[in-house]
Amino acid sequence: MNLLEISGLGFAYPDGTVALRDVALSIERGEKVAVVGPNGAGKSTLLQLIAGFRMPFTGRVIVSGKELKESSSDEIRRDLGLLFQDPDDQIFMPTVEEDVAFGPRNLDMDDIEERVLRGLRSAGIEKLAKRQPHKLSYGMKKRVAIAGVMAMDPKVLLLDEPTSGLDPRSRMELIKLLKGMDRTMLIATHDLEAAAEIVDRAIVLNESVVMEGTLRDLVMAKDVVESAGLELPPISRLFKVLDAMGYPIDSLPVSMDQAVAELTMVMDRNGKHVHAHIHEHDHIREKAKAEHAHETR
Amino acid sequence: MTVGHLRGHGNETIQIDHHSNASWFGLIDSRAKLVGVLSFVVVSATLTDADLIVASLAVALAFAAMSGVRAAILIKSYLVALPFIVLASISVFLFVSIESGINMWARTSACVIPLLVLVSGTETFDLFAGLRRLRVPAVITTLLMLTHRYILVLSGELARMKVARRARGFRGGRSLLDKYGLKVLSNTAGMVLVRSSVRADRIYEGLKARGFDIEMHAWHKTRIDSRAATLMACFLVVSAALVLLQLEVIA
Amino acid sequence: MHVPDGLMAPMVAAIGWIEFVAVLAAAMWITGRKNREKDLPRIAVLSAGIFVAQMLNFPIGGGTTGHLIGGALFAILAGPSVAIVGMTIVLIIQALMFGDGGVTALGLNALNMAIIAPLTGWGTYTLLKTIMSGGAKGHGSRELVAISVAAWASVFVAAAACAAELAVSYAVSSGAYGIAPTVSIPAMLGYHAVIGVGEGIITAGILAYVWRVAPGMFKSAEPAPVRTTGIARILSAKTLRASFAIVLVFALALPLYFLYASDGEDGLERTVTEAGAEEGEPLTAAPFTYGQTYFGALFAGILGFLSVSLVAIGLLRVLRGVRTEERIE
Repeated sequence: MNLLEISGLGFAYPDGTVALRDVALSIERGEKVAVVGPNGAGKSTLLQLIAGFRMPFTGRVIVSGKELKESSSDEIRRDLGLLFQDPDDQIFMPTVEEDVAFGPRNLDMDDIEERVLRGLRSAGIEKLAKRQPHKLSYGMKKRVAIAGVMAMDPKVLLLDEPTSGLDPRSRMELIKLLKGMDRTMLIATHDLEAAAEIVDRAIVLNESVVMEGTLRDLVMAKDVVESAGLELPPISRLFKVLDAMGYPIDSLPVSMDQAVAELTMVMDRNGKHVHAHIHEHDHIREKAKAEHAHETR
Repeated sequence: MTVGHLRGHGNETIQIDHHSNASWFGLIDSRAKLVGVLSFVVVSATLTDADLIVASLAVALAFAAMSGVRAAILIKSYLVALPFIVLASISVFLFVSIESGINMWARTSACVIPLLVLVSGTETFDLFAGLRRLRVPAVITTLLMLTHRYILVLSGELARMKVARRARGFRGGRSLLDKYGLKVLSNTAGMVLVRSSVRADRIYEGLKARGFDIEMHAWHKTRIDSRAATLMACFLVVSAALVLLQLEVIA
Repeated sequence: MHVPDGLMAPMVAAIGWIEFVAVLAAAMWITGRKNREKDLPRIAVLSAGIFVAQMLNFPIGGGTTGHLIGGALFAILAGPSVAIVGMTIVLIIQALMFGDGGVTALGLNALNMAIIAPLTGWGTYTLLKTIMSGGAKGHGSRELVAISVAAWASVFVAAAACAAELAVSYAVSSGAYGIAPTVSIPAMLGYHAVIGVGEGIITAGILAYVWRVAPGMFKSAEPAPVRTTGIARILSAKTLRASFAIVLVFALALPLYFLYASDGEDGLERTVTEAGAEEGEPLTAAPFTYGQTYFGALFAGILGFLSVSLVAIGLLRVLRGVRTEERIE
């Protein structure tokens, strides 16, 4: 069943600038999808629009069977969990647990106590329950925002640049968190590496949908990547270099898991040997055979 | 007034973060506290009889002592309010009599001290929530709560900006004639305002996305237990007695 | 200028509360006519911004510092009614977070800093701007001068109001409350005349920055429609509203003046007759008679002169401006 169904979506700002043009997207329950694209491509606008904050638009948006209109936007928001880039924009109460309870309280949900606990647990911040949000680190604040949204038990999570601004460790922890969540999500990001770890497929957005497919398909489409101003994840770049050195690959891995799988497969194929001749300066007799690998851009 | 004005509000960020729940007073339902303290303050402000003023000052000091709020905080806050009080007292002292000057001092102190205890000993958000439960319009109390929250966020940003400024050698202006100093100040303040405005739309969406409908529902609602009721009753009785004595209804 | 409790005479404080609530209600009603729900976070964040801006100390000289009140700034950025609401919020937070300013005195403090300061600042700015730049659009240096003067005026007039309240409290209670006018008026006006300079410079500086970086940012989401026909346009002209604002400021002083005028004489007589029964000797021979009549004359004079001249300027502008387009922002 499609939890999110978008067709023919178009939106322009009041001053006439077109933000979205003929966008179509379907997300099934349990799927995790990334929206990637350059800044100003409309990723954030798309998420805000789905949450009912950008009207009027052309086309149709259907969330969990309900069509998005001015009148239904409040109702639809109950099924959505919107997370902003800056967590300070969505933390309102003086303590963490109060803030997590904010959503359930407003929506008059029952068993708030349990929801708060579940929310805190899903974000891994039970210990921070009584703390004051403005004293927490940026990464922790992001988790508070997640907890607050999860406490409402949304059908679809809409995340706007979840990994931006995080230090490497917090980023990895957040990626792990999102990866492990059993929740339908749409993630707007230009962090391809994070997307690769978390999502099943992605769409490239630049006002309209430029391409749709798995991330592996995406990174192979060189011109799409270029025009979208995207940076390949380091893993993919490494394998590109290997590819240029004559190393046989069908598609570029985008995540660590995929890379390891790829290497294992190749090693198995070649009887546990990997020939790549990288260290040409070390073996004098092999110097002539050495190939210089350049990553061409 | 004069010195109070001069210090600016920069020192208060230290107080913003104090934990009010340390004392028994902090845990009492804020409605009871508000009704009790405010009625006492209102009454004390109307007293003109010297003996009654002294009595109310004594009550105020006793309250401060019993409340468990740290004396250092109270004294510091009191000193901030002092200049205005002193100016008034001295002017009365000079133009009317010493006695009247002392009365002025005592009366304003009797009003200021309980208020300081109330605000130092209670979480600000709880005070606003208490006001709401006392039927102050939701628009006002919600604005108070949201503004308070974003004061914390923005003052953090300001602190970072100030550090960044110092790191680049800015030591503050010297006088009103220091054009450069004033320009840096204006730009800093301008930045704070611009950043505050940029957030506004996101905050609205963040609120709506979590079902906001103008009421800032607190999760745990406090009840008025026996301690709260006793505190409130004490204040009300004392206030009533003072009023009646002042109006000479009772001897 | 945050006055604590117990300083102002109860009658004066009560008048302050009544006027404050009345004007605040009107301001809330005006802002509520547009999309209030969306404006709430905007007002909150802007108020927070002003509060934090107030935390900045500006140097006066000789090691002393002052700080911004921000009434004029708020009003020029977001309009007078939003400013009234926002400054009120700031004051309540200051009272309930730091005990800065009393609760019985909140009415008067709000009247001075949340109503009189923004209205004076906005009104003066609007009227001066149209005079100085002749209705031309854009934010030139002349406009910055207008802002400085307006911000200075907002502080000065608010201080004058505070001084008046203190003086009336004094007169009405024969010295039990308030501060003698011979002290309060020079002290408040003198000190705030200097502070006002800082406020003027910084307000202009902040607005220059904001207008350079993010013009039009603080105006409400939907602009009000432009009314182009006859009477409606005259009535909704900004200069007329600005004149009204200035007049309102001085009108707010009227109840106090009547209170003073009605009680002042009695209070003085009472003091004189009871002089023999007073317990302590006054240390200085207070020039009572001179002080109070001087105050009365000064009061009436300022009120009359300023409101008449500003209204005259405003009307002149309106009459000239009927031909040109005047957009309501």
